[in-house]
Amino acid sequence: MDRRQFVKATAISGASASLAACGNPEEQLVRFISDEPLPPGLAVTRRSVCPLCPAGCGVEVRVMEGDVEVVRDGVRGIVKKGLAKKLEGLPGHPVNRGRLCARGQAAIQVTYHPDRVRQPLRRTGDRGSGAFAPVSWDEALAELAARLEALLQDGDPRGLRFLTRPLRSRRGVVISEFLERFGAPAPVVVDLFGDAVLRQANLESFGFHQLPTLDIAQSRYVVSFGADILGTWNSPVAQSVGYGELRQGRPGIRGKFVQVEFRMSQTGANSDQWVAARPGTEGFLALGMARAILASGRRSPSDGGRAGELIEGWSDGLQAYAAEAVEQVTGVPAATVEQLGREFADNGPAIAVIAGVPLAQTNGLFNALAVNALNALAGSVGVPGGVRFTPVLEGLRGLDAAGETIETLARSILETPAGGAPPVDVLLVHDANPVFGAPPAWGVGEALARVGFIASFGSFQDETSAMADLILPDHSFLEALVDHVPEAGTARAAASAARPAMRPLHDTRDMADVMLDVGRRLALDLPTEWETYEDVARERFEALPPPEGFDSAWIAAQANGVWIGPEAPVPEPASFPDVRPRAYAAPEFDGGADAYPFHFLPYVSQAFLDGSLAHLPWLQELPDVVTTAMWSSWVELNPRTAAELGVEAGDLVEVRSAHGALQAPALIFPGIAPDAVAMPMGQGHENFTRYATGRGANPVRVLAPTVEPETGGWAWAATRVTIARLEGAGDLVRFGGALREHPDLER
Amino acid sequence: MPRWGMAVDLDRCTGCEACVTACHAENNIPTVGPEEAARGRAMHWIRVERYWEGEFPDVRLTFRPVFCQQCDNAPCEPVCPTYASYHTDEGLNAQVYNRCIGTRYCANACSYNVRFFNFHNPEWDRPLDLQLNPDVSVREVGVMEKCTFCIQRINAARIDARAETEEGRIEDGTLQPACAQSCTANALVFGDLDDADSRVSRLSRSPRGSKLLEELGAEPSVTYLQKGDWDESGGG
Repeated sequence: MDRRQFVKATAISGASASLAACGNPEEQLVRFISDEPLPPGLAVTRRSVCPLCPAGCGVEVRVMEGDVEVVRDGVRGIVKKGLAKKLEGLPGHPVNRGRLCARGQAAIQVTYHPDRVRQPLRRTGDRGSGAFAPVSWDEALAELAARLEALLQDGDPRGLRFLTRPLRSRRGVVISEFLERFGAPAPVVVDLFGDAVLRQANLESFGFHQLPTLDIAQSRYVVSFGADILGTWNSPVAQSVGYGELRQGRPGIRGKFVQVEFRMSQTGANSDQWVAARPGTEGFLALGMARAILASGRRSPSDGGRAGELIEGWSDGLQAYAAEAVEQVTGVPAATVEQLGREFADNGPAIAVIAGVPLAQTNGLFNALAVNALNALAGSVGVPGGVRFTPVLEGLRGLDAAGETIETLARSILETPAGGAPPVDVLLVHDANPVFGAPPAWGVGEALARVGFIASFGSFQDETSAMADLILPDHSFLEALVDHVPEAGTARAAASAARPAMRPLHDTRDMADVMLDVGRRLALDLPTEWETYEDVARERFEALPPPEGFDSAWIAAQANGVWIGPEAPVPEPASFPDVRPRAYAAPEFDGGADAYPFHFLPYVSQAFLDGSLAHLPWLQELPDVVTTAMWSSWVELNPRTAAELGVEAGDLVEVRSAHGALQAPALIFPGIAPDAVAMPMGQGHENFTRYATGRGANPVRVLAPTVEPETGGWAWAATRVTIARLEGAGDLVRFGGALREHPDLER
Repeated sequence: MPRWGMAVDLDRCTGCEACVTACHAENNIPTVGPEEAARGRAMHWIRVERYWEGEFPDVRLTFRPVFCQQCDNAPCEPVCPTYASYHTDEGLNAQVYNRCIGTRYCANACSYNVRFFNFHNPEWDRPLDLQLNPDVSVREVGVMEKCTFCIQRINAARIDARAETEEGRIEDGTLQPACAQSCTANALVFGDLDDADSRVSRLSRSPRGSKLLEELGAEPSVTYLQKGDWDESGGG
């Protein structure tokens, strides 16, 4: 087509388009009258809680009016609506203190995502095919109620299961109460990369089954064993705020930060001293430090209290952990072990913290107990500048992993002989995607395929909700009443609550309201005062002591976005579990070192966490800070290893374990040991919106199903692999190094 | 008349990139997608640069957030044939989008690689467009764009200040660009460099402070405070 033709064609098609619109009134948009009184052009501020990770940062939402396309009584039109425009950290919130991380900033895209499920859907194709057709809420709820009614009539209510991510709101109470009245087992909490091992260790050492709150701001020395405290772990914003103060918040005092890990993370890059210890030996190093402290006479074994007694050989001064032995086991020079121990004891208050790779090992619990003992020895527990535990609010506690896991559930379904009725007939899924996140050997996908009926509350189609027979889309967090009780990140008890920041954009319903509705349809004996979820949330808040100037904690929480408990000492734990002292056992890896020479270290992605955020375009285009990669998956290789294998940046490599193989481009990474390779989690989705589907590879596909034997926590960093160079290049997009004016130098 | 500037404390910065996403959200910066990003066309008005040193295990990695340095002697300004890039009274390197004809001279002249060209009209898959900030114009194809120190927030703060006080002074700390507001470690501090008592002024006078590529003589308004060293006696 030449230019003349092009101009003609556009003129004709443009004219006919506008004529067509004039001729067909149904093509013209009607402006409906808005029922939301909003000042034109001015912003109002509302509150919410970021839902993307369990930290529970308070959020301030900037809301302005805007035009939204809607259909009313079959007529398409536009209407003015209050729309969330920007999220900020909520000033005065005890967890995030007005700050918000990159993921929290992107959380707003969840609400406006083009691939959100906009109305209830019923499956029309094969399970997992993603073929669904719209259905009304009435029909959908009637169908779900009928399936559940049938279970009750059969007299086998134990055939109902509820899968959810960990919940720290009263929604967890709605789910638990529903299941209890129904006669079904407790909810199965899916927390694959969670901290079950650390909670158990904290219970054994200190009597608190929860994650620690790190008072980094007032500390003078922080040693992190694999914990991504500034990136993704626990309460990263609270910890980053503290880190800023550790460094430059006190005139004349600048704290030291040491990171122990085998692959340099974003957190590790910020350390004053970076120590590479072999995976699974971190606890040995911690005890080497403790031994140096004891041997120098700076502390005595009794200072370690109960946490110390849990370590075999503690009272004898940890003779087995001499610096030379530590060097042999961990690879950390003996002099460094002595130096770290001495500095840790002399620069209190000091914090030792452990998470990530060291816990995802067959000896994960021991590693955590060792670090706990080191903290206790230095007198760091329960003191300002040390490790604390946030007071627990009974009745506001959320749902954490306990009892049945997705692994045991899948096994019980798969072990049913062919032809027999599987133990689960109806499965409800809320905000969990184990088909993507669990190791293939657990067979979660195959198990789900055998379940009679699955309903998902998902806002998106993902690998798990695509298996559902019904999708009953939940509100986004900005459209829902939210409440949240942080497990850690604040020294005082806190509970957030906020009304919806905006009205629902689509035909969605609150998961908790749907559960209450179904409960009424089934005539379950749920509390009569629970008309809506708001009643459930308000009920518990009103039992809290109101702060000064308020009649009720519920009103106060909504006015300030958060209720903050009184300054109170942490209650002493009532009892400790009865456990024997433990000795170090070397970590065991899946795959022998001869056949599989490399440790495979997957890590929680800065942008996508475990993959649940891969659907947000801002996060896809966020350059990963240590590699500057965007929209990609990659395998990190030490430059020396890459040279030995003849691999160059961007070359496609195969990662193979005894459980599977994957392909991804290589990235030459100076911060990783020569005998390890690392890969971020989060990409490799088969079905998760237009932005994530078919992009990159999922490292979980090669992971062994090894577990930490005492807690059952998944040892996701205990797999060994081989690396082979393949023909060609992979899709690796990077921000750094791209010269805009030289497209011939791409990549 | 204030003179806006920023201090970046590299001893606090964690490389978390909250600033990067916050900037996208505030300033209607489009995502360009993987194909365009692979051609070097991704737009990030603020980025976190990283520098590797050494070999495993003695390896170091440091971060530095880089954005328009709002130079006093800006190389981007005199090269613009249409005066689209110009210097404001308050010390900003402003960009008048509807004057810009896309010569890209300014991007070539910029020593900091912080100007971004719209190779295409920006697109938001609906309804992502409902998030767009009505206070910030959307830039069309052929237009250069860059960090503005969130000029829309400066203007709004000025209007508020004029309504509230006689002299219309914007109090230190009441105004923050989106990046500084989100910054998790409080590493970015924004304010008036002509106010000797403002936090940014005090930090800019720190002995740890230096300018990026100072020797080029562009006179940036951004001061970087270098990482401190740990000193067991307590200093640093």
